[in-house]
Amino acid sequence: MLTTIISFAASSGVGAGLGIGIGGGLGAVGAGVGIGIIFGKVIESVTRQPEMRDEITSIQWLGFALTEAVFFYGLVAGLLSYVLK
Amino acid sequence: MSSTRKLLLSIFGFYVFGIVLLLVIFGIGKKNNSFQIQNEFKLVNWVNLGVFSINRAVVYLVISTILTIVTMVWIARRMQARPNKVQTAVETLYSLMRDNITGDNMGDAMARRWFPFLGALFLFIWFNNLIGYIPLPTNSEETFNIFGVAVPSFALYAATANISVPLVLALVVFVAFNWEGVRTQGPIGYVKSLIPAGVHGPMLLLIAPLEVISTFMRLISLTVRLFANILAGHMIILFMSGALAVILGLSFLGWFTLPAAILIYLFELGLVATLQAFIFATLSAIYLGGAVTHH
Repeated sequence: MLTTIISFAASSGVGAGLGIGIGGGLGAVGAGVGIGIIFGKVIESVTRQPEMRDEITSIQWLGFALTEAVFFYGLVAGLLSYVLK
Repeated sequence: MSSTRKLLLSIFGFYVFGIVLLLVIFGIGKKNNSFQIQNEFKLVNWVNLGVFSINRAVVYLVISTILTIVTMVWIARRMQARPNKVQTAVETLYSLMRDNITGDNMGDAMARRWFPFLGALFLFIWFNNLIGYIPLPTNSEETFNIFGVAVPSFALYAATANISVPLVLALVVFVAFNWEGVRTQGPIGYVKSLIPAGVHGPMLLLIAPLEVISTFMRLISLTVRLFANILAGHMIILFMSGALAVILGLSFLGWFTLPAAILIYLFELGLVATLQAFIFATLSAIYLGGAVTHH
């Protein structure tokens, strides 16, 4: 499906702008799923073991930041494709 | 109707009214091709000294260095037995750096040795990120006049949004943890410790290059994580607070996206600036701690 979209975009002259769209968009999909899983699991584990809350919170932010960075990798790759066209 | 509801409705009404008003007054303009978004992040040399040229990233770095040193020394000199608010905040910061960043990730003796480095790293990146959200007159490409003096226009800029600054910080960390690993385990022992225990024979050929590559990937991931987070945050704030309206020539769009700009600004200031500094320092501590242990 991706190749059809790319070939369609190439023929209609959208070109470089597509890089940001695909990079940022797919990056956001992945990071969104990941962040959802992280916070879901945090809620699950805090309700199961409320006394572990402080420890879980500090790990949670580590996981959040690592996952969130994935979105920016996609976005930066998209921006690169736009700037270096 | 309750008063909260009335207030919310009137704010929403004002918002919609603003969009309609701007649409009526300015209408739909033409696309603006002279405004280039990358110029907002361009580095213009103010003082030309070859490789030591002073541009705005350098100024930001100097400001945050001075801030890091002066605020911390000043507060450390004025420690009281009954802490005031500022001292309490700094003590919280200190215990975050000592316990969460350094203490959790390495042994006691090592934590004592590396705490000054990691604490300074955290504070330096933190101040760098924070002063990036204060509008300062640094965009010397575009000037405006105040009483005949050409003042550079106000811009949000952070030195960490420039890839070279996080790259140098990551290089320092990279050299530090490799040095520490080689120093404690010897060169051969360190290379051996990179490979997980229990890998023998032909699997070694597959695993060893992967582990070496992943060590170098730490350099890239540390750099890109910090740089891309800050750059993307600044870009989204820029787009939402008016650049989109300027590029597309639609004045009402600026009003339309302004609430998003304010929300993202608060999100970046409140969470991302601190979190990225914390992550950078924590990952450095994890790498340093991991370099001295077998796994």
